[in-house]
Amino acid sequence: MDSVLRAAVMYVALLVLFKIAGRRSLSDLTTFDFVLLMMISEATQQALLGDDFSVTNAVLIIVTLIAIDVGLSLLKLRSNRVSRLIDGEPTIVVENGKLLRQRLHHARLVEADIMEAARSSQGIEKLEEIKFAIIERNGKISVIPREN
Amino acid sequence: MNDDAEHPDLHSRQYPVREDMAYQLNVWRFERCGWYLLVILVVLGLLGLFSRGLLSTRDIRSEDGRVRVQYEMFHRNGSTNPMKISVSGVPESTVELELTGEIMEGFSIETLQPEPVRARSSAQGIRFWVQTDTQGQAALFITLRGDGLGVFHSRIVLPGSNDVKLAQFIFP
Repeated sequence: MDSVLRAAVMYVALLVLFKIAGRRSLSDLTTFDFVLLMMISEATQQALLGDDFSVTNAVLIIVTLIAIDVGLSLLKLRSNRVSRLIDGEPTIVVENGKLLRQRLHHARLVEADIMEAARSSQGIEKLEEIKFAIIERNGKISVIPREN
Repeated sequence: MNDDAEHPDLHSRQYPVREDMAYQLNVWRFERCGWYLLVILVVLGLLGLFSRGLLSTRDIRSEDGRVRVQYEMFHRNGSTNPMKISVSGVPESTVELELTGEIMEGFSIETLQPEPVRARSSAQGIRFWVQTDTQGQAALFITLRGDGLGVFHSRIVLPGSNDVKLAQFIFP
């Protein structure tokens, strides 16, 4: 019984903690952020398995995690509110070459982050060439260039 | 806060994505409050609320001072913490010590040093007989492993002396 409870509690705890951390923490940023995510996964693993290394325990925990995940995705299909609550929404941060500074501040982003995404995804050189830059639900910044 | 929503930057756009800035502002507010909560948890952890620290380590004596117990009030399930019981009595003799209450229901004893002269189980716990030295002092070093969950009240009893009451909590 405790295996299922561990898996369920860790799932919910991680969901809430990553919601608190915000959208950017989910996308791979620097090497350090990647290592940080790995450290979080190591800590989670210890809590899930405890000192029980049997196949039964591992399969039970994986089954529980997948069941909760699929259950939540079914719930998201039925209800827009749940989907918005769990996944979030995309937010526009650059509009017609202009930074929406209040939004950048709340999202803890700087202009350099936008320009980095613009250069790597669209080969854009200047801020004025951006029609829209949107921070997506998964934390990635998608850039739509101006048609010229 | 009203100023925030009035700023043109924070109006909801409809193209290329439909936005609900009121909701998004709440999400950002939740993130900020959540961060404060995380900081509070870190500080409490450092202070020892979740085992090992100022808030958790206890050093208590019986009323007549014959028994002294140094232990952790907060434990985490699956992890070990030390407990030291010091008794004073007649030099070069055997002193009886009883660990009673709920302690054996929530904890298991991983190590016990030095090996007592005699050990027996009692109605609600364990009895040890320890040998005192030339000054009449004896100490038991115990490593306790938290196996249960919740609060456990126990007593350390030295016959002929007031007992020492312990309350311990095991976090999941």
